[in-house]
Amino acid sequence: MEWLMWFSKPENTKPVALIIFFVTFVGIVLYVYGSKNRSKRLETYRDIPFLDEQQGERLGDQKDTKDKQ
Amino acid sequence: MAVTTYSGAEQYNFDIVKKFAVMSLIWAVVGMFVGVYIASELAWPFLNFDSPYFSFGRFRPVHTSAVIFGFGGSALFATSYYVVQRTCQTRLISDGMASFTFWGWQTIIVTAALSYVMGYSQGREYAEMEWPIDLLIEVVWVTYLILFVGTIMRRKQPHIYVANWFYLAFILATALLHTFNNLAMPVDLFSMKSYSLFAGTQDAMTQWWYGHNAVGFFLTAAFLGMMYYFVPKQAGRPIYSYRLSIVHFWALGFMYMWVGAHHLHWTALPDWTSSLAAAFSILLLMPSWGGMINGIMTLSGAWDKMRTDPIMRFMIVALSFYGMSTFEGPMMSLKEVNALSHYTDWTVGHVHSGALGWVAMISFGSLYHMIPKLWDTKMYSQKLIEWHFWLATIGIVLYIVAMWISGITQGLMWRSFDEFGNLQYSFAESVAAMMPFYAMRAIGGMFFLSGAVLMLFNSLMTIRQAKQENAVLEAKLAAKLARA
Amino acid sequence: MNFNFKHEWIETNIGLMAVLTMLAISVGGLVEIAPLFFIDKTIEKVEGVRPYTPLEQRGRDIYVREGCYLCHSQMIRPFRDEKLRYGHYSLAAESQYDHPFQWGSKRTGPDLARVGGKYSNEWHVQHMVAPRSMVPESVMPNYPWLLSTPLDISDTADRMKALRKVGVPYSLTQEEYKANVVKFGETVAPLLHIPDAQKNLLEQANFGNYDGDRSGISEMDALVAYLQVLGTMVDFSKYNDDAFVDNR
Repeated sequence: MEWLMWFSKPENTKPVALIIFFVTFVGIVLYVYGSKNRSKRLETYRDIPFLDEQQGERLGDQKDTKDKQ
Repeated sequence: MAVTTYSGAEQYNFDIVKKFAVMSLIWAVVGMFVGVYIASELAWPFLNFDSPYFSFGRFRPVHTSAVIFGFGGSALFATSYYVVQRTCQTRLISDGMASFTFWGWQTIIVTAALSYVMGYSQGREYAEMEWPIDLLIEVVWVTYLILFVGTIMRRKQPHIYVANWFYLAFILATALLHTFNNLAMPVDLFSMKSYSLFAGTQDAMTQWWYGHNAVGFFLTAAFLGMMYYFVPKQAGRPIYSYRLSIVHFWALGFMYMWVGAHHLHWTALPDWTSSLAAAFSILLLMPSWGGMINGIMTLSGAWDKMRTDPIMRFMIVALSFYGMSTFEGPMMSLKEVNALSHYTDWTVGHVHSGALGWVAMISFGSLYHMIPKLWDTKMYSQKLIEWHFWLATIGIVLYIVAMWISGITQGLMWRSFDEFGNLQYSFAESVAAMMPFYAMRAIGGMFFLSGAVLMLFNSLMTIRQAKQENAVLEAKLAAKLARA
Repeated sequence: MNFNFKHEWIETNIGLMAVLTMLAISVGGLVEIAPLFFIDKTIEKVEGVRPYTPLEQRGRDIYVREGCYLCHSQMIRPFRDEKLRYGHYSLAAESQYDHPFQWGSKRTGPDLARVGGKYSNEWHVQHMVAPRSMVPESVMPNYPWLLSTPLDISDTADRMKALRKVGVPYSLTQEEYKANVVKFGETVAPLLHIPDAQKNLLEQANFGNYDGDRSGISEMDALVAYLQVLGTMVDFSKYNDDAFVDNR
């Protein structure tokens, strides 16, 4: 259990946590926002809550609110 | 609204959603009543009535359990069962299991409340339930997990909607937290009394890892799930950014678990732990605000409805308070600020700006949206919703302002010195200074409670109205059949 | 990250999503909690801290039962004002036998970590029965039933056995007893011996007569015995001011 001691030092843990977290975070952001096609595809899933109902149930249907870019 | 109804009874299990929705409103009224009562005990101590059963120390867990697990929990069961069925376009896999979670959960809340009053407590905040109740929670929770995941596995829609991710994270995290925080050794098999497996520092860390993530997952992630379904539905437009929801889901889930130790700044917990927690608390602002921005931007295309639709107003106020308290939280986790705010009413105010402002308001909005759909009618009275909104909003403001003033006053009085370097105030003087604010807080709570009472009344009348409409419809149908 | 990765894999596979979510939420707790059990420095090496006697422990049970921790903390922070008001800041070692910890999170009333010995037994009894008769500004509930309820001592040994199972060094065997003599000294060790639990409890209660009523042992006896030992175990005059800085 000696190796656990290494984690007890903030000077070790801080940069490691920062690096791991930051790399993962940047990875996710790059993935999510990185490509036009992917973005478009991901945004289509927004409509799922509206799929299970007949027209007319949507409150905002004065206008077509299906504003897909 | 739903003129062309899909017949709920066959396609979806709405019965369970209805039950949980009604119980959620009942627990809201009960829990908030107890809250107002204990707030009044602090302002007017004679209300303890020399009775063990009503004394503040035993009654306070009744309040927290009834509102968090009774009101919040039932609202989450109701909405998660509703959302998972409608976004997966499939029925819950088992009516029996659903029913079991309902009766199990209600039994838990009732027995927990009774046991506190009788003097059974683990002495851990928000986890006061003794071990037999903890075991029941475990069983109900695993059933809930199986039911929820099983339903998702049977979905007709290939994609799992983001609201369900948040509900899933909430169910998993709650299971994890509940299990580890309640590890205890019963005195014997027939005794309600148990002793925590951990002691001192480790026990404190485990408890606040639980305590803060009860906030993070039970009261935040799960209600974000609610937000991700009901805000778009009520606004009539899809969520502002699906991509943002992906980023903030993973960031929120990951980071929340680190921050619990900011409840233990300056204590005997090693410094590295609470410093780490403080760092993550600051970072947590980003994913929190990611969720808030996503919600507000969804509503922002429908500002015109804000004037006419009180349900939308519940939602926008909820999101605003979410934004505010997730800013206040990181600020209070700074060691310097915490040195002042910890142990004072400021913390209590902060919790309530989240609990009343965010959790309760988003639940009210969602339930107002859902109840007419469940019973296939309109809300009995729009006017009462309007009233509820204003009572609740005024109540929150009174509450938070009172706690800000009293908290900061307390903190400053405790640390002020006279010209000779002695303490300027005795502790008792700081208690006396709190009295007007404790009274103000109790009054704020009364406002909020009366709003909840209106909602319960409005909903029960809606249900009655739906039954009457149904009866009329059936009579017409019968008449038609008779003529034929 | 490989370029064929699609977040949809996760979004269409509940099992994968559950596993990844569990991973994401497990890291924080593991990193912050697990080391506390292994790092020796977490709990200071300090003389004097011992498990509670049976009577004190029963008093602590009542403290937990009545929810005292909701208004009273037992954790003094290292600030000048807290030192003046309450005394030396609390050490981790001082709550090492506390199952559960009762550090608290709110001071509606004052901190109690070092309340032991500050007031007389009579003061505590009167204050518990009618707080406002001693402190007019107080908002504490009255606890008259503590004085009228006899202490249930029937399961004292069972409670100590349960505590022993979670790591409190109460002794059940002669070997454990001898170990306690080495660790806590000849006077303390007998008090921690489970077979003598009931006898020890009665002796301490009758000798201390905490509630001022000799006719029986009330819950008040136990609670006052507990309050009077709080914060008194470590003799801080033996340590210099920065003795514990390294442990923070």
